[in-house]
Amino acid sequence: MTDDLPLAGIRIVEVAAGVAGPLAACRLADLGATVIKVETGDGDWMRDCPPFLADGTGSVFFALNRGKRGIRIDPDATLDRATLRRLVQGADVLVTDRTTAELGALGLAGVDADVCAWHPALVVAQISAQGKRGPLAGKPGSELVAQAMAGYTRYVGAGGQPAVRLGADVAGCATGIFTAQAVLAALYARRRGEGGQRVDLSLLNSLLAMKTVHLAAQSDPDAFEGPRVGGAYDPPERGWKTADKPITFAFGGAVGAEGRPGWTQFVAAMGLAKMLDDPRYDKNGRLTTGLGPKARELKPEYEEQFVRFPAEEVVARVREFGGFASAYLTHEELMREPQVAALGIVRELGQRGSKVPALGFPVKFGATPTALRGEAPRLGEHTQDIVNEAGGAA
Amino acid sequence: MPGPLTGLRVVDVSIMAAGPWIGSLLGELGAEVIKVEPPAGDGTRWVEPLQHGMGTNYLCLNVNKQGVVLDFKNPAERAAALDLAATADVFVQNFRGGVIERLGLGYDAVRARNPRVVYCSVSGFGEAGPLGKEACADFIMQAYSGFARLNGRRGDEVEAFRFTGFLDLTTSIVAVEGVLAALLAREATGVGQKLEVSMLQAALEMQATRIAELFGSGKSPRPLGSEAPGLCPDRAYPALDGEVFVTAHDDAQWRGFCAAIGEPALADDPRFATNRERVAHRAELDAIALPIFAARPMIWWLRACDRQGVPCAMAQNFEQIRYHAQVRDNGMVEEVRTQWGTVVVGGLPWHFAATPAAVSPPPVPGADTERVLAALARTRAEAIQ
Repeated sequence: MTDDLPLAGIRIVEVAAGVAGPLAACRLADLGATVIKVETGDGDWMRDCPPFLADGTGSVFFALNRGKRGIRIDPDATLDRATLRRLVQGADVLVTDRTTAELGALGLAGVDADVCAWHPALVVAQISAQGKRGPLAGKPGSELVAQAMAGYTRYVGAGGQPAVRLGADVAGCATGIFTAQAVLAALYARRRGEGGQRVDLSLLNSLLAMKTVHLAAQSDPDAFEGPRVGGAYDPPERGWKTADKPITFAFGGAVGAEGRPGWTQFVAAMGLAKMLDDPRYDKNGRLTTGLGPKARELKPEYEEQFVRFPAEEVVARVREFGGFASAYLTHEELMREPQVAALGIVRELGQRGSKVPALGFPVKFGATPTALRGEAPRLGEHTQDIVNEAGGAA
Repeated sequence: MPGPLTGLRVVDVSIMAAGPWIGSLLGELGAEVIKVEPPAGDGTRWVEPLQHGMGTNYLCLNVNKQGVVLDFKNPAERAAALDLAATADVFVQNFRGGVIERLGLGYDAVRARNPRVVYCSVSGFGEAGPLGKEACADFIMQAYSGFARLNGRRGDEVEAFRFTGFLDLTTSIVAVEGVLAALLAREATGVGQKLEVSMLQAALEMQATRIAELFGSGKSPRPLGSEAPGLCPDRAYPALDGEVFVTAHDDAQWRGFCAAIGEPALADDPRFATNRERVAHRAELDAIALPIFAARPMIWWLRACDRQGVPCAMAQNFEQIRYHAQVRDNGMVEEVRTQWGTVVVGGLPWHFAATPAAVSPPPVPGADTERVLAALARTRAEAIQ
């Protein structure tokens, strides 16, 4: 069965901490690669981030590092540097967030050349905070710093108020996904006759690639209208109130200039028939629902009726008439949704005698199996075994 | 120079955002990408804002493509679409559940003609389950997936990310991850397969760390302003003239933070000695650090943190990002020339040293129809001979 995995036989060395590098290597492990996580000093800083599982492992550390084996090396010890070099020489892929200078100090000088002279078949995914070139090359960064620099914090919170971040670690997770792509694409090229190579990724670059809708919107718009150019100056968006929790919804949409019908029946069914003869409302809901330009202004008029019904009922009515809708669910509510169960999104994996829920590979393959493995390593847990396999002394 | 997917063909019949950007990314990796639109047009052509009359979403979400228009309701054009799909290494669709089968371009129909196809099917909530046929949009998934429950001030209930299509694009990047894995698998097996990509599962991947905390604590995460739940210090500090965003991940950066704010003795204070202690004593650290930051300008803190190796930045707007030396030197944004003027788009998310690719302009809708169909006819004629 493991031979069927798309990355069966692929050996990855990860010298990375935090979110991006570990997430990428975890997903590549889900596809069948074997991953050795290399740590120095106190190890990956994520180890010390709460909350902690029953065995004391950080729950985020577990999620990003399950299924890997761990080695701890001392960069000042000649033998340790030689061990790491042998590990990399025997690997197909290096995933790292260390700089050129730091890699040199680990005994890996030259590994992040365009093509590694001492291992030309190696695929190197090198993650930085702000890019490999330029005036900020080599400077440290963070999730928060990347969000601020990429302008993301301008589109949550309110102008003149204390800054708000996106609560998800969007720079780290997006970079993890892009890093997994980079490795897969480079392995694909290698399979078709190319050699190895380095691929550069950065937290800031990922967020700007993911900002393409906003960048294009602000290029040279015919009018400064709509949420994509005006969003930074809009108030916080919190949906439409109902009897219990807020919802969001929209009519109009996907094909052509006119969108979908259904709005007229929906407003009639909700007791809002007065909107039908009101010139402020278009007749398909395109302007007054969702991201429509009049949606915020007219929100209270929808809410007059919405507050008489629970969110679930308003959402069901929107869907009944062909619109899109959802309540703003909490994560606990989401995990109770039959939809989440139907997709098999959450799996149970082992961690030192207990079972821990975990997310699997985020795509459902029709034919290719994945192999989700539990057990995140303790710091240096497999050092001796790995040293022995690499053929050297500890 | 060729990218890692040079020589592969992608046929993309998707519309709006989550589907189309898949093709663009595969194009940026070097594949030939053919966008097939209905005569009514991809709705993004009319989504505000417009630039010289063309929706900017259409422009940025369809880079690196050729443009073909086919009417799937016309039997001859539908047959041409299937012929085109038969030539595809990757096929991308995101119609509402059941529609693509009615159009005769479902997985079974395409596979019958093309067993090597990697068939990428994008949905809102997945293809099974009670919501399997529901349509979706970015802001809907921000609500459903809990993404918006993470944003806002302390005590807020919910706040949406205004309105980048971020979860649409998240779906695209997760899809590309899956497509690349399936292409590698095809090298071993010789056959393609169907991939199911949902905005829901992608939205959870983008929240992987917060979901892991939920699994660890059993408690729903809450908005924390500019702070993160598991790391401290990591927040915006109001300085004399605006906010600086500062993080310390590990002991070295923590010591640097203490030195930067002129309180080196704090580094060994047992309340703050480790990250978990700092998270537990967050308010006490704020009580010390906030007045210190408030007394000096942003530029001071940028210098002080830089000297100590501590991550620190100011927030930037579009004009600052667009012309920032760091952004330009690393190709993080690109400008493409179109008949609707020059458009700034996101740059390549990865930079391959040996097989680089490039961002190329979006198509004029339908401009490549005749050429693509003529080439298809030639291929068919050759096959018959």
